[in-house]
Amino acid sequence: MDLGTAFAAGLQLDFANLPQQLVNGILLGSIYALIALGYTMVYGVLRLINFAHGEVFMLGAYMALFVSWWLGYSPTATSLGQSSWVNLLMMLVASMVVCAIIGMLIELFAYRPMRSQPRIASLITAIGVSLMLQYAGALFLPNSPPQPIREEVNPYRNEVLQIPLKPRDAEFLEKIKSEEAEFNAAEAAVKTQMEVEGVKSEFDLSPEGRLLRETRNKERTDVTTMKSEYERSGVSLLIPYGQLIMFVTALALMLILRHIVMNTKPGRAMRAVSLDFDSASLMGINVNRIVTLTFAIGSALAGAGAMMSATFLGLSLTTFFGVQPGVKAFVAAVLGGIGNIPGAVLGGLLMGVAETLVVWSGYGDYKDAIAFVILIAVLLFRPGGLLGSSKVEKV
Amino acid sequence: MKYWPTRVVSILAGFGVCFLISALADASGNDYTKRLVVLAGVWVILSVSLNLINGITGQFSIGHAAFWQVGAYSAGIISVQHYANSGITGLPWLLLMMVAGALFAALAGLVVGLPSLRLRGDYLAIVTLGFGEIIRIIVQNQKPLGEAYGMNVSPKFQFTWLVWLTAFAAIAICRNLLKSAHGLPFLAVREDEVAASAMGVNVTRVKVTAFLIGSALAGVAGALFAHYEGFISPQQFRMEQSFIILTMVVLGGTGSITGSVLAAVALFYLPEKLRDMGPVTGGQLLAGAFATVLAVYLVKRVIDHFHGAKKEAAIRHLGIVLGCMALSFVLSIVLNQVPVLANARYEAEKLRMVIFSGVLIILMLVRPQGLLGHAEFSWEWLKRVLGQRRSEAAQTS
Amino acid sequence: MKRRSFLFIALGAVFGAGILAGCSGGGGSSESGGASGTTASGDTIKIGLVASLNGDQRPWGVDSERGVRLLVDQINEAGGVNGKKIELLIGDSNSDPQIGKSATEKLISDGAVVVLGEVASGITAQMAIACTEKAIPLVAIGATRDDISDKGPDIFRVCYRDSFQGPVMAKFAFEELGLKRVALMTDKKIPYSTGLSNSFRDYYTMLGGEIVDEQFYEGGSSTQFNAQLTNLKGKNPDGVFLSGYFTEVGPIVRQASQVGLTNVKFMGGDGWDSKEIINSGGEAIVGGYFCNHYSDQEDRPEVKAFLDAFVKKYNERPGTTMGALAYDAAGVAVEAIKAVTGDVSSKAVAAALHNLENYKGVSGDITFKGQGGNPPKRALVVELQADGTQKPVKAYAPTDVK
Repeated sequence: MDLGTAFAAGLQLDFANLPQQLVNGILLGSIYALIALGYTMVYGVLRLINFAHGEVFMLGAYMALFVSWWLGYSPTATSLGQSSWVNLLMMLVASMVVCAIIGMLIELFAYRPMRSQPRIASLITAIGVSLMLQYAGALFLPNSPPQPIREEVNPYRNEVLQIPLKPRDAEFLEKIKSEEAEFNAAEAAVKTQMEVEGVKSEFDLSPEGRLLRETRNKERTDVTTMKSEYERSGVSLLIPYGQLIMFVTALALMLILRHIVMNTKPGRAMRAVSLDFDSASLMGINVNRIVTLTFAIGSALAGAGAMMSATFLGLSLTTFFGVQPGVKAFVAAVLGGIGNIPGAVLGGLLMGVAETLVVWSGYGDYKDAIAFVILIAVLLFRPGGLLGSSKVEKV
Repeated sequence: MKYWPTRVVSILAGFGVCFLISALADASGNDYTKRLVVLAGVWVILSVSLNLINGITGQFSIGHAAFWQVGAYSAGIISVQHYANSGITGLPWLLLMMVAGALFAALAGLVVGLPSLRLRGDYLAIVTLGFGEIIRIIVQNQKPLGEAYGMNVSPKFQFTWLVWLTAFAAIAICRNLLKSAHGLPFLAVREDEVAASAMGVNVTRVKVTAFLIGSALAGVAGALFAHYEGFISPQQFRMEQSFIILTMVVLGGTGSITGSVLAAVALFYLPEKLRDMGPVTGGQLLAGAFATVLAVYLVKRVIDHFHGAKKEAAIRHLGIVLGCMALSFVLSIVLNQVPVLANARYEAEKLRMVIFSGVLIILMLVRPQGLLGHAEFSWEWLKRVLGQRRSEAAQTS
Repeated sequence: MKRRSFLFIALGAVFGAGILAGCSGGGGSSESGGASGTTASGDTIKIGLVASLNGDQRPWGVDSERGVRLLVDQINEAGGVNGKKIELLIGDSNSDPQIGKSATEKLISDGAVVVLGEVASGITAQMAIACTEKAIPLVAIGATRDDISDKGPDIFRVCYRDSFQGPVMAKFAFEELGLKRVALMTDKKIPYSTGLSNSFRDYYTMLGGEIVDEQFYEGGSSTQFNAQLTNLKGKNPDGVFLSGYFTEVGPIVRQASQVGLTNVKFMGGDGWDSKEIINSGGEAIVGGYFCNHYSDQEDRPEVKAFLDAFVKKYNERPGTTMGALAYDAAGVAVEAIKAVTGDVSSKAVAAALHNLENYKGVSGDITFKGQGGNPPKRALVVELQADGTQKPVKAYAPTDVK
């Protein structure tokens, strides 16, 4: 759809969907926020855009994949039982720990030697590290074909939380029953016809059989139409358990982070370093340790986000898996005001909702542009991001 | 040596180099070589033009591929729709298209430049990055531009010399700007925006001018690229390309035009030349990687902690390098005794991007100010070097 | 100044040396010999392959490399072609049309008589331009885009075209599945997906069906598809046609069941073919239909032999359908070289390709004679089973959809 016809076609707004779409947006945004926290924390202490953060995210997802294999959910395994939440927790912890270590290593080997150098040099190093992890990772990590984590590892995969906003029309239930009875009869007729003709597949039936099949198909359409009309007669919010877990975990991690930053000693040191790097070191803060800690925490959050996206959403992993989420999260961090922790959360949620609303309005093909449009619009009026400060650096 | 003679010599030398490159490429009779020469020229234009924005004016732009794309697509679509009924053929049309590409890209530069005036540093960076993505997505959704598949551009023009002549012109524009009174404000803005504005520099104008010229040059590169390739697609202008252009600028030495040119050529050729490397076993890969890391670590230590004579430092570097070479050789033989490592084979084609990113990291670690720092090529420098040689020769004889 | 330059020479040297030392050090131990070594001599016939060995198209690139290498090794083990060994030259396109073209030019300048390659239509288009300029025949592996063949006279492909695959699925959906209201989901970033969606839409509406909605996403940058799926659900479709690659189709279908989009049939094109789709799509994708080149359940000898040989060499089944197509692309190229009498030149190979008839490929019979490089191939609609196998359901000949 090109721009002209897109506008001519007009917006296709389905207001019945709006509450659901807002919920979708918040679910999406919570993951953006989780990754954005890593960007913003690192930026806060070092004034460095950690371009390799997306790759840490990618490695976290791979770690979750490997743990799921180790737990017996490998691609070739057959007859898998129901998993339990313990497995999920193991994957989560493993991802977070490994990501924290990787984050610390990257800081130690690639960023620390560059600390006294111009920032742009560190930035290029970050780009180099990010390319290195993408391409070198492709040699060693399973990525051809891209690997998904099996859904069986998620015990809550078939459960959906329904929050009814407006009850459904109960009179449809009777109609559905009668339609289903008709469908079953038609289905049975097709089955007997298949037995009579002795064919294995319903696509090989003779013309009479095909007629029966036609009727059956029509009945099936009627059933589904009726069912969806029944569903549409009420309004309810659907939240898949997996995504609910993602949201709740993300929220919990953010609260823990807030506690660490605001109420603990390392947290205070972190804030001090982010306020003034040199003065902080003069005040007896071990700056190196704080920077390492920041990288560890930020990367662990990315690891949590990665594990949950990979596990609950069924995404296929390649070594480029982290690029786009990384960029989106980076935008979210800047949107909220980079270096500002609540800002990252706000930015992430805002972006999630914005993207979802764009899809809702029928412009799904411009979904990925909207994040940047909003960003530019916001920065025009608040150059420091939503919650950030835009003070000019004094000489 | 006075102003005009130097100038004339410089221009003639530039022309000479352009046509020499072109002649050499043609003489090779190999399309692959020729193509690389042309594309290297395109990358030189891109890198030099970003250097103006990023290196000279200090505006952190990481979406340069967007201007390249605007130039390529605008020139491409005009060519496709109007070439047949324009009545202009050959070189004049291409020159016209270069102007068109420059205009549209400059317009895009204005669109980014103006709102970004209030932004600095990383905020500007993310806006330019975002702008690049917006352009790519808009192009990707346009039917006349071929959506994600791409667009045929006809007619094709394949003038090697023109690409390099344009590159030369881009270099000349930047160099003259830098050396003239108009250029000093650019440097002032880079060094300190607040101080510059206190000294009466019109910061706004400087930034917008830098964006305008830089993006226009990238647009010219786009027009040349589109007409050389005959086919353009959004895939070619993705975000990583912007990063690579940025890397060329930083690697060459931020602000150094000579550095940008050299780094562009080097970084463009590196992955292509790596194609000729033979396959490597797991043991060799491991040994090479280990020795390289060790060498970088030791060299870095010498740079940081050794403050003796330059000659001695050089000897140390040489020692480290040779030692690590020997180590990697021995280690690779040892490691290849492990069957798993000896049997794992990695073709060069799969390793080239890994080595590319490795070189990037290593160069940044051992030489963060870039290959040339702020240094530039100049006739004085050449004279000095030649003079030194001559005096050394005189001494030894 | 001097120290600096010296340092640089030194560093360059260590880096090169790391690699060189590696290469030379292993010279003794690597007598197994890589196919990509440069053993330039007159006794070999060189064929080139351009594949995305790096970048986001890598899964398909690696598969095409494996497929081609398998066939070349088989031919060489059997004594080569007319007494000459086939030498495989590989070029990496880095998933980028511009670099793909450079790689093609390099392979041609290294002496390849025929170039195989690329899965993505955008890269293939560039390769086709390069090959046409040098009058080298090109055998595309998975480029289904219709207008690739317009780039030159000697552009061949072993796959079917979008203008066939889309209508096949449209016909199947309309006539066999009885779906009257279908929604589309298109990956805007992949030309393959937009092309396939369009051809599906055109034929389906021509048959009298209704396209109720089309939702878009961008491959690689979308993680949650709730928004699109909620929209689709509001339109109440009977079926959803997902024209993208399995990497996104799996998550979409898995998430569809979670947002309550049940009771719909999921359909797609050959981008679905992968052993991993069943793992990423989960239970919800079982019973999905897609159009494929072959099915692993078919009992044609070519399929069995290919799968056996592939598993024997690489210890796993091909990751995507490109393994088989690449095998076929190399197959037709070698077949053409076999047919050349006398000196093997690219011109003779191109002529032989134009004369190729009834090559028994894994993906079906391939005939180029009188077809201008686009072989009329059958398409097989398969149904995904719970164990990940593909049950062939209905085969369509090119004449079935007009």
